[in-house]
Amino acid sequence: MGRVALTHVTKRFGKVAAVDDVTLDIADGEFLVLLGPSGCGKSTALRMIAGLDEPTDGVIEINERRVNGIEPKDRDIAMVFQSYALYPHLTVRKNIEFPLRTRDVERRERKRLVDEAATTLGLSDLLDRKPAQLSGGQRQRVALARAIVRHPAAFLMDEPLSNLDAKLRVQTRAELVALQKRLGTTTIYVTHDQVEAMTMGDRVAILRDGRLQQLASPHEVYARPANLFVAGFIGTPPMNTFAAALRDGALTVGDDTLALPADHGPLPQGECVAGVRPEHVTLGTDGRPDGNGGLRATVEFHESLGHERHVHCRLANRDILIARLAASAAVPADGDTVRLTIAPGDLHLFDHHTGERLDAGAA
Amino acid sequence: MPAPHSRRLREALLAYALILPSFVVFGIFIFFPFAKNIEIPFYETRGGIGFGQNKTGGTRTWVGFDRWRDVLGSDEFRDTLWVTVKFTVLTVPTGIALGLLLAVLAHQRLRGITIYRTIFSSTVATSAAVASVIFFSLIGPQSGVFKLRIDGIPLLEHPTWALPAVAVVTTWQSLGLAFIVMSSGLQALPDEVLEAAEIDGASARRRFFRVTLPLMSPTLFFAFVVGSIAAFKTFAEIDLLTPGGGTGNNTRVLAYAVYDAGFRTPNGEVRAAVLAVGLFTCVLILTLLQLRLERRVHYVA
Repeated sequence: MGRVALTHVTKRFGKVAAVDDVTLDIADGEFLVLLGPSGCGKSTALRMIAGLDEPTDGVIEINERRVNGIEPKDRDIAMVFQSYALYPHLTVRKNIEFPLRTRDVERRERKRLVDEAATTLGLSDLLDRKPAQLSGGQRQRVALARAIVRHPAAFLMDEPLSNLDAKLRVQTRAELVALQKRLGTTTIYVTHDQVEAMTMGDRVAILRDGRLQQLASPHEVYARPANLFVAGFIGTPPMNTFAAALRDGALTVGDDTLALPADHGPLPQGECVAGVRPEHVTLGTDGRPDGNGGLRATVEFHESLGHERHVHCRLANRDILIARLAASAAVPADGDTVRLTIAPGDLHLFDHHTGERLDAGAA
Repeated sequence: MPAPHSRRLREALLAYALILPSFVVFGIFIFFPFAKNIEIPFYETRGGIGFGQNKTGGTRTWVGFDRWRDVLGSDEFRDTLWVTVKFTVLTVPTGIALGLLLAVLAHQRLRGITIYRTIFSSTVATSAAVASVIFFSLIGPQSGVFKLRIDGIPLLEHPTWALPAVAVVTTWQSLGLAFIVMSSGLQALPDEVLEAAEIDGASARRRFFRVTLPLMSPTLFFAFVVGSIAAFKTFAEIDLLTPGGGTGNNTRVLAYAVYDAGFRTPNGEVRAAVLAVGLFTCVLILTLLQLRLERRVHYVA
């Protein structure tokens, strides 16, 4: 069993709240990603679960047991650090064995467990080496082996892939997910990389300035961001946002009007911020008779990424919208006037003061 | 292409010109006396006018390695070297252990810890002479506040206990530096490795002996070698606390023997020159040892 729960957890360093009233409930066997920009409090949250930092306020539970004030070693967790934090003076075998030795596991059992972990991570031939003789990827696997050898209730991982080169990172990402699924151990994974978050997590918790912004599946975080921060943080390029107003069941942007979905639920009248993913923007020529009038815009410039094109368009109110087109799509010339059409279901609406999603209640 | 060549030549000339002043100073005050020091024992000088070996006129006779053999093979040299080794063994490990202990104590996030750090490192500001004067006023045979005696003999005149007493003074005086070196060594340790050990279930004691201490080995080794070199060159405390090299020469270390032969013994200059080379050789060996072994104790994280 490895349920991990944070209830109204706050951590203050002086007057600064690094983690501010965060509540998370992580189910047994779940892979939860803590995502956010640097300084958002995700590492502090992880360190509090590990017991390396104590919360100023709130309750942390592991396995239905309150662990506030309990030493890290008694929390039944294992941690993988960004720097791997291997013991440089010990061989790979002794590194993996370390958590077993401190728990006085009998010698034969120790050997069996180390060999098992080493086999799982493909380290069997490296057991007599010292960390300095290993590549970055191998060190990373030793750190993982040291974490899994003890079969803890939960794995805590603090940006474990960020010191690997890009290619190895993609490969290790997949291996890590497969390993976690096979072991079925609750995993809390801290990263600032949204691709890792989207590809690895069962759920993603997005933090900003110590506050939880959204806790949902990767799909929902992308498809229904809870606020403007999440909308801008997830997705590359991020969601387009532009000033708009809600009037009489339609969305006005300057002189143009966009239709809202039929089942939009109750919405406040007046100013708001509208958002649309770049792949949901369709380009048409100006003046095209279109059931939906679309937004009038001028093409500023476009970029080719090989597999797709990004067309940067400027609206009348000077907001920029990026349209993501297939590489083969016809692209208007820079300076052309175009009509940007957006399907009603692809619109996201946010409060222009708080940035919160307006139709949060609607399904 | 002549241009780059002549430019390189100009740069080289400029470099030599810039080096010249310090080369002259080193040459006059270090290299020349050093070479002279090695030359002196090979000759015997008779007659002439002047003092000691610096006589003008007279005759110089090549005597080969006789002087070297006489001095370095003597019981006196052996005893002196033995006292020096004992003194090193008494001061260096103790100093490192105490410095490390204080560094570990001061390596806590506690209110007002900087005050303790300042106190712990304060003896850096004292010289061996100052330390000796302080301790002499405390335990000096006649004028000391405490006038410690063992078997009725004043501590600093005791044939057995005078050397450990001087070692205490030296250890105290060098403790500030040891503390600073150990503290910086501790601060350079990767926090994450110690945190990993904490999560891996290691007790504070185990973390210290199994992780901190091995990771500190480069610092410990450095402190050990530098401390040994300093111990081999100890002079001021010996001269000030136990003038004459102690009862029965029991605090007569190598550096003191050089001084004693050169400045307090008539016609002892040759012996002083040989002993000085002996001391130099010991320090050289320690230095080479450090250079050779240093890489082995370094861990690449």
